[in-house]
Amino acid sequence: MEDKYEKLEKVGEGTYGKVYKAKDKQTGQLVALKKTRLEMDEEGIPPTALREISLLQMLSNSIYIVQLIGVQHIHHNGKPLLYLVFEYLDTDLKKFIDSHRKGPNPSPLPSSQIQSFLFQLCKGVAHCHGHGVLHRDLKPQNLLVDKEKGIVKIADLGLGRAFTVPLKSYTHEIVTLWYRAPEVLLGSTHYSTGVDMWSVGCIFAEMARRQALFPGDSEFQQLLHIFRLLGTPTEEQWPGVSSLRDWHVYPRWEAQNLARAVPSLGPDGVDLLSKMLQYDPADRISAKAAMDHPYFDTLDKSQF
Amino acid sequence: MEFDLENPLSKDLQHALFAIESDHLPLMSNLDLDYDHNIRQEIISFISNFSKKLHHPFVSYLAINYFHRFLASHSIPGEKPWILKLVAVSCVSLAFKMIGGDSRLSHVQKEDELMFDFRMVERMEFVILGALQWRMRSITPFAFIKFFVSFFKLKVTSLHANDANYHHHQVLKDRATEIIFKAQIESKLLDFKPSIVAASTLLYASHELYPLQFPFFKNSILSCPYVNEDDFSKCYNVIQELVLDGYESMLSCKTPINVLDLDYSSSEDTHNKTAPSEEEEKRGLKRLKISTFSKSPFQLS
Repeated sequence: MEDKYEKLEKVGEGTYGKVYKAKDKQTGQLVALKKTRLEMDEEGIPPTALREISLLQMLSNSIYIVQLIGVQHIHHNGKPLLYLVFEYLDTDLKKFIDSHRKGPNPSPLPSSQIQSFLFQLCKGVAHCHGHGVLHRDLKPQNLLVDKEKGIVKIADLGLGRAFTVPLKSYTHEIVTLWYRAPEVLLGSTHYSTGVDMWSVGCIFAEMARRQALFPGDSEFQQLLHIFRLLGTPTEEQWPGVSSLRDWHVYPRWEAQNLARAVPSLGPDGVDLLSKMLQYDPADRISAKAAMDHPYFDTLDKSQF
Repeated sequence: MEFDLENPLSKDLQHALFAIESDHLPLMSNLDLDYDHNIRQEIISFISNFSKKLHHPFVSYLAINYFHRFLASHSIPGEKPWILKLVAVSCVSLAFKMIGGDSRLSHVQKEDELMFDFRMVERMEFVILGALQWRMRSITPFAFIKFFVSFFKLKVTSLHANDANYHHHQVLKDRATEIIFKAQIESKLLDFKPSIVAASTLLYASHELYPLQFPFFKNSILSCPYVNEDDFSKCYNVIQELVLDGYESMLSCKTPINVLDLDYSSSEDTHNKTAPSEEEEKRGLKRLKISTFSKSPFQLS
């Protein structure tokens, strides 16, 4: 691999390992190299790696998903290692939002940009769900942005399954809970596409607010953040909620007006957001249905 | 998530399947079927026998699918048969891992006279993965069987119509599966879309099993917007030829027509041009075959 790519710099610590920016020595193409911790088995490539990577490959034909360019298999100090080679994008949505909040001239994200980013995100999520794959860890850090073209791409897909989403990444950085759906926080084991739509809702609100909607620092605090804004869920609203594994008796909060949390969004935006943040996962809007929501009526969809 | 040929997307997402199936064709434009036909057939029968020890019927199908796709992008020097065997073992290994077999491949391989060092298999696995661009979730005809079988509704007026249809769908599926395996082993149907193979095979099976309802089934399946009539009839003809050839070799070899037990190399020799008298004999046999199947209590004709 050293022959093919020149490592330029470490660009991050992904949830599953280090990420390097590198250059294809022949073509000059910039790539992101992700070292996986998939250890080679005594019998060649481990089955989980094989299944996960082929899943990634199947999904990466959408332009709203970060493209997997290849897989490199190298022996390092006698130990076999797998590197995933992805297309390189210079920024992610977290940095992008930060640059609008901090920096020399902070300014809100233009509403047309929020609309376009959200539509692309829904399109990418619909693509994954259409192939039977959940992301399960959508967050602004996992959404890469091509600033010049105005494109958003979903990254860090698929590998979640083989490892289950960890609480701490291998660098002991706390994995963020801010985008985690209430059913996951409450210990439900049978969750579905709704978990991703909850995250999409949180990301939507964050683009409008330039700060996280539910910034909890523990699972308990995370739930309280959610309950304070949306009201403590009831059995009527969400049948079965009180029998979930980690349900406790919580203070009874009333739902606040959601529009006040996202003052820059118009009524259609608030309506779409409320549909993404439904408590009962069965009531939550799907990515496909979201793309047809009136919020996107003013968007020129032909460009996507 | 283990890979399931009958349910490759883990959910009922039929529309997506039709959209992506073309990504998984073995780049047929590059495939030269005449080149080293014998070696290819030998390896396919090797894969098929080797897979049998793994006790999972689809391992062999998936491994041969990988093998065809690999040969379409790589030429292998024919003078080194062990390389082909290594490719075959590696294809089986990959297929077995994809499907989620739980025993270890080395246990199976040990029984074989031919043993490869796991490092060699590993290296070949990566060569194959590279050649197939890691597209290991092959969309095969089996992914479409469940969808198309619903087009075959028996006209039954009895109280047990549901049971009858369930039974008849099972019989159709079994026969279609048998033909699909056979077609793959004989390297046929490689240039048709998997969905077309599934639809035509089911229709062919229905012709054998329920000849009187055939026109009705045919209209039903051609009404499906995913079925292109031209491709469909071409594919149907190839299947017909394939099955009739099978009867022919059965006549000459007197071997049971069980795909997995076929002796591939011997069927080569018996594949002669059909003389008129043989043709008649063949038809007679086909009738015999159909009448055997029609003992089913649900046959209304």
